[in-house]
Amino acid sequence: MNNKSPIKKLLAVKGMGAALTAFVGLIIIYIAFGLINPAVFSSNNILNLLRSMSKYLLIGIAQSYVLITGNIDLSIGSMVAMSAMISATLMTLGTNPFLAVLVALVCCLVIGVINGILVGKFKLPPFIATLGTMFVGRGIAYMVNNNRNTDAIATGVGKETGDAFQNFFYYGTTAGIYNTFWIAIIMFVIFFFLLSKTRTGRHIYAIGSNIDAAKLSGVNVVATTTKTYLVSAVCSWVVGLILCAQAGMGNMEAGNMYEMYGVAAGVIGGVSPLGGTGILLGTLAGSAVWQTLENGLNMIGAQVGIQRLVIGIIVVVAVLLDVVLRSGQFSKKKKG
Amino acid sequence: MNEVIVSMENICKTFPGVKALDHVSFELRAGEVMALLGENGAGKSTLMKVLSGVYTRDEGSLKIFGKDYGDLTPKQAQEVGVAIIHQELNMCRHLSVAENMFLGREISGRIALNNAKMEQEAKRILDDLKIDIDPKETVGELPVSKQQMVEIAKALSINAKILIMDEPTSSLTAREIEDLFRIIKKLKSEGKGIVYISHRLEELQHIVDRVTVMRDGQYITSMHFGDVTMEQIISYMVGREIKEKFPRVECEKGKKVFEVRNLNAGKMVRDINFSVYEGEIVGFAGLMGAGRTETTRAIFGVDPKESGEIYVDDKKIEIKCPMDAIRNGVVLAPEDRKKDGLCTKLSIRHNLTLPNLDIVCNRLGVVIGKKENELCEKAVVDLKIKTPSVEVDSGNLSGGNQQKVVVGKWLARDSRVVIFDEPTRGIDVGAKVEIYNLMNELKKQGIAVMFVSSEMPEVMGIADRIIVMCDGRITGEVMARETTQNEILTLATTFEDKKINSQSGKEEV
Repeated sequence: MNNKSPIKKLLAVKGMGAALTAFVGLIIIYIAFGLINPAVFSSNNILNLLRSMSKYLLIGIAQSYVLITGNIDLSIGSMVAMSAMISATLMTLGTNPFLAVLVALVCCLVIGVINGILVGKFKLPPFIATLGTMFVGRGIAYMVNNNRNTDAIATGVGKETGDAFQNFFYYGTTAGIYNTFWIAIIMFVIFFFLLSKTRTGRHIYAIGSNIDAAKLSGVNVVATTTKTYLVSAVCSWVVGLILCAQAGMGNMEAGNMYEMYGVAAGVIGGVSPLGGTGILLGTLAGSAVWQTLENGLNMIGAQVGIQRLVIGIIVVVAVLLDVVLRSGQFSKKKKG
Repeated sequence: MNEVIVSMENICKTFPGVKALDHVSFELRAGEVMALLGENGAGKSTLMKVLSGVYTRDEGSLKIFGKDYGDLTPKQAQEVGVAIIHQELNMCRHLSVAENMFLGREISGRIALNNAKMEQEAKRILDDLKIDIDPKETVGELPVSKQQMVEIAKALSINAKILIMDEPTSSLTAREIEDLFRIIKKLKSEGKGIVYISHRLEELQHIVDRVTVMRDGQYITSMHFGDVTMEQIISYMVGREIKEKFPRVECEKGKKVFEVRNLNAGKMVRDINFSVYEGEIVGFAGLMGAGRTETTRAIFGVDPKESGEIYVDDKKIEIKCPMDAIRNGVVLAPEDRKKDGLCTKLSIRHNLTLPNLDIVCNRLGVVIGKKENELCEKAVVDLKIKTPSVEVDSGNLSGGNQQKVVVGKWLARDSRVVIFDEPTRGIDVGAKVEIYNLMNELKKQGIAVMFVSSEMPEVMGIADRIIVMCDGRITGEVMARETTQNEILTLATTFEDKKINSQSGKEEV
């Protein structure tokens, strides 16, 4: 295997095809928009683009982990809101920011564990189980500050600390690029490694491909399923903190619909909602495609309605392509 | 003698790589029960699927009620009156009895369905058969036997004249079997032709008129049931003598490696006791549904056990889940490779390493590429898996190679007990021999090998000792070299005679 060229080796990785296709699509879309409005190519726009895609990359990772096991997590958006509301509320009360975000993390993890146990152990359909936790999570996000958005976090922890928090997660830069992007990329690298190089990662793919075979191979299905929901919880938690930092306050509606954006980012990048296939590089490409589209449509003056419409079409086309390719393979096998 | 209603001559049917039917002839008369007998895979079901239009024959002629049919479609077959009562019942569990009976040909009024009429009609048919079922009841809530009755009633409601029953008694109790036989006799007296497929030879005497025997896709003989003995029928069914295809190695029988005591797990695993020694392969023979797969699953911790103790090298071990079994050196290559054995969407490499990740990972759970590659290359070479690379999706391999992957993933670790469940099903002869050699290799290494197989010649050719199961119990143990297929088949059909023992209350489990 070592005698192959690096490119061949790269292409041999399962799911790389779909990911590369998405990257190619990304480049085409980006250049096309840039030709219409050269401002798309400005460094300022690129930096903004990288920052805004970071959120989608993180929820894409969250949803991809769950999708690869053949499940779904509808509670992502609610966990985002919980994270934002809990940390913001605590900070407006003057709690140490470190403690505040830690509490938010614990709450998100609890939702993740509940999801994992309901789906893994009690075999609830993941759509239903996480639909439940979605409402519960959103309910908690509302209740945290008595059904109101929070005040500015600086009112509690002071302007200096508040600014530090906001800069760390959103407004600050390191090496000329927004911190948000660095956070997302570091998490991406960690979770990419976890999924592609570790035992847990293998178990995740095995469950998605054939849960019975996985069980008979000694895979602990409950634990592994729970781990995927925990990854989802951690990513949602970070996105919640990013939104909190961006607004400088907690918003009860934060993260609305994010679970679906996560599905879209994954699916565009080749993560199959049926489980077993897809890699996080695809999710990276998918979230980039999405943000480039949104950004580009914005730059050429298209309205939100058009943006949504185009994204909807892109998602369906991406999956349609996948299905057509697959059925093509199937008919080939039949003949042979 | 009654008129001939079905006449099939020289029927051939080939599936890729298999000649399922080889010039088979079959005849059914009105008002008779014809038993269609043969070992698993003899082609009985295929023949009946040709008769009901599910498969199209390659050659031969098919006449139903004297009319020649070219390419019979399932719909045509139904119209002409052929109905199959399947082994697995084909009912919509959530619908009512009447709804099921009229599925696809609902009686409707001008606007809405006429439920009253359908229920009335269903009631009439059920009463006619003296079956006590309320047409409004939900099918899923009925016991299996009643569901079967509903299926029979459904067949009659579409005016079936030829009924094919595939293992109808396999899940029935004594009382229920009596009911079924009563209905069969009634249908017979009305002039319907019934094809009765069953492994339970002892129940034939209650209803059967004639017998047709098949073997290896070929027609062997047919005769009046009264003219033959059970022994004769069995020898027709088994027939051949082919021990050479099976390489056997001789080993010293060593110390006890594996022992199972008083294992109970549900209806199909009842009080199982056996042990396996170093240097021997223990075959598990029996008919389909004898409880062998269930036994392996219970041992391996897939299905929960009610009771029982398991010992490896005289040490008692607890197996609650497959992980426990693997840690203690007990592994299982499962029966249905597509369902239980293989992650078809994943590469060969991922499949081979899946149960061995503890070996190829470092302490942090990170896969070490070098170790993994070594393991995979070794498995591919040892098992002669034919593939361009280990990155190929295992779903794209041929059946034999898929099976090698399933087996291979368990051989990479030092196990003490390896359980093979139907390892050669659906694979070609060459691959079979490779699997046999592999088992022999394990045997030489002193590993306890359990070999479950429904193919009698292969169990007799490969195993040293054979344990025969029937109905979830061990009904006998024989030495492979001293036994005959007839003896095994007799043991494998030693059902608790439900008809006679029904009053002694043996049915509860």
